[in-house]
Amino acid sequence: MATARALLVASLVLSCFLLPCYGTVLFSSLQRTLVVTASPTSQQVLKAGVDKITVTWGLNQTLPAGTDSSYKTIRVKLCYARISQVDRPWRKTVDLLKKDKTCQHKVAARPYSPANRTTQSLDWTVERDVPTATYFIRAYAYDADDKEVAFGQTTDANTTTDLFQVQAISGRHATMDICSICFSVFSVVSLFGFFYNEKRKVH
Amino acid sequence: MLGIISTACSFCIVDRQSKIPNGTRRKFRAPSSKPCFSYILRATRCIPLSFRFSILDKKMEVEGQATQPPKFALPVDSENKATVFRLFSVAAPHMRAFHLSWVSFFACFVSTFAAPPLLPIIRDNLNLTASDIGNAGIASVSGAVFARVAMGTACDLFGPRLASASLILLTAPAVYFTSIASSSTSFLLVRFFTGFSLATFVSTQFWMSSMFSAPVVGTANGVAGGWGNLGGGATQLIMPLVFALILNIGAVKFTAWRIAFFIPALFQTLSAFAVLIFGKDLPDGNFRRLQKSGDKTKDKVSNVFFHGITNYRGWILALTYGYCFGVELTIDNIVAEYFYDRFDLKLHTAGMIAASSGLANIVSRPAGGMLSDAVAKRFGMRGRLWALWIVQTLGGVFCIILGRVGSLGASVVVMIVFSIFVQAACGLTFGVVPFVSRRSLGLISGMTGGGGNVGAVLTQLIFFKGSKYSKETGITFMGVMIIFCTLPICLIYFPQWGGMFCGPSSKITTEEDYYLSEWTSEEKEKGLHLASLKFADNSRRERGRKEDSETKPVDETPSTHV
Repeated sequence: MATARALLVASLVLSCFLLPCYGTVLFSSLQRTLVVTASPTSQQVLKAGVDKITVTWGLNQTLPAGTDSSYKTIRVKLCYARISQVDRPWRKTVDLLKKDKTCQHKVAARPYSPANRTTQSLDWTVERDVPTATYFIRAYAYDADDKEVAFGQTTDANTTTDLFQVQAISGRHATMDICSICFSVFSVVSLFGFFYNEKRKVH
Repeated sequence: MLGIISTACSFCIVDRQSKIPNGTRRKFRAPSSKPCFSYILRATRCIPLSFRFSILDKKMEVEGQATQPPKFALPVDSENKATVFRLFSVAAPHMRAFHLSWVSFFACFVSTFAAPPLLPIIRDNLNLTASDIGNAGIASVSGAVFARVAMGTACDLFGPRLASASLILLTAPAVYFTSIASSSTSFLLVRFFTGFSLATFVSTQFWMSSMFSAPVVGTANGVAGGWGNLGGGATQLIMPLVFALILNIGAVKFTAWRIAFFIPALFQTLSAFAVLIFGKDLPDGNFRRLQKSGDKTKDKVSNVFFHGITNYRGWILALTYGYCFGVELTIDNIVAEYFYDRFDLKLHTAGMIAASSGLANIVSRPAGGMLSDAVAKRFGMRGRLWALWIVQTLGGVFCIILGRVGSLGASVVVMIVFSIFVQAACGLTFGVVPFVSRRSLGLISGMTGGGGNVGAVLTQLIFFKGSKYSKETGITFMGVMIIFCTLPICLIYFPQWGGMFCGPSSKITTEEDYYLSEWTSEEKEKGLHLASLKFADNSRRERGRKEDSETKPVDETPSTHV
């Protein structure tokens, strides 16, 4: 009985030490060990919903062996370049990764095994809810606890080179345009219809 | 037995439509002819005919029924304004006007604030920056500044029914066009023009002030205004829900939000139709017909305008209303994004929290109106002014606290409390407005309403545009500004009733002196001032109970000089 209670307390105390571990990873603490390339050329404009991106990622082969021993998953994301973050606080870059809003669009998530070091690639069609902006691709490596441990990206540290653009869909359809105009005209015309009717009743 | 029968008779025949003063009858039933009459016939079969009629005659005489045929379902005063407020009745013309006005005003609020809860989607679709969003928010409330003043004058001249329905139908196209906006400029323009519809607030208050008498005008104004303002909260719930529904059906995000905008637009259009078909300007009928038959005098725009803008009380109330209603509008515009961005919530969660602020309107603004009426019963106009000052200042205090709390739970609670106080202050303001002027009631209502929007524009311009202050800091500063801009209430003074710190004038001044000072002797000779005379008489209650019992009205005859 006493040992069970002691065990419970110990596990509770230990878990308290574990809790701060989640959500405290800083981007500046990550090492850039992955090499990521994407098919769009610099300043190319891609159409959302239509065009494809081919993303390739893998470990930097010049690094010593064992660097990637803790990597379990690689997640590839579409991220906003600095120029698209200006005056848009909802896309702000923050060092604390939990609060960072730079990379909001998921491209892929693939398991990684250190034994098999070949580069992986993927063809991804730009989704239709991607807004018009300037982007780069970044890949994060996660360990078994789902914590970020490394990253790689297609651009430089200041996210100013090798960027590409996406042209979003407008979301408009011809039917919608016609309906809007028809209903608007109807509202105004019916108002004058009422006026005319009122005048007729009074006289 | 005879007593029961005569009471039954009076219930059924006389009861339905009569001008019985308050307190003399126990029960008012809605019009229902057939079962009632058959009951009477059965009951009266055993009484001799002559006796039956003499009982009826006596009952009618006792209850003050002269020669005029009874017309209304609710008890009314000498201006045919209802003296009671029956929330769950739709009896024409009073309660029907109430329901039409609050529903159409609600629709306008839903449309004006339909964009904020969907901004996280719209800002990506239209590639908006924070400045664009701030500017659009300011534009959405700035149109109504002048529209409200113009609406006040339009109500004075054309009647609230036509004025409000015209505005609603003319701004509906802006809501339809929101669906096809494609840039930050077009977004700003549609929000600007949609915002004009908020001027229906003035027609709502004008309509209620024309339909309901002094004892209940605060309540009527408060409930109508509050339930209309509810639209600003309801839309934060409705739009994300409609959006999610359309998304489920299969549309893409960037199309779904556009389709969603048809809902508020259609609602707005239909409510305007209802107002035109079922509404009446005054208890006696519509403006045009009354003007034609000579029962309603037509007033000149310039005179209405002059007497409105030269009344300093209108300006003070415009300023203070800017810091209760204006603050409410600001919150409607910023709070969904605030919660979404600061606490990393999902779109519909942020919408729900934002909605709870606006939804408090269902009780808080009416409570303000009722508090105003209740305080007036005991303390008169002075009580109304004190209550307004206290409640609005407390709203400012809670606003400061809202900007300082950092946890989600505390933020939500403080926001709701703050909303309640600020919205109650709005209701309290419109307990005072009907008494500022009789001739230019519409214009004063419009000025006050417009002032509300000016407050919203100023606040958003100073504290919530671009990225200068974080939203939390902006909210704290807004609270400080509320407290400062509420102080001018201390300066409002009515010579016949007093102000916050002074009693009524030492010279004998009556309500007639105050209201008839708006008319020249030539106009009085033409008899244009009679409506104001009736109103002055009905407003004597604003002296409060102590005054009524101690002093008798001294000089009843209107003064002959201006």
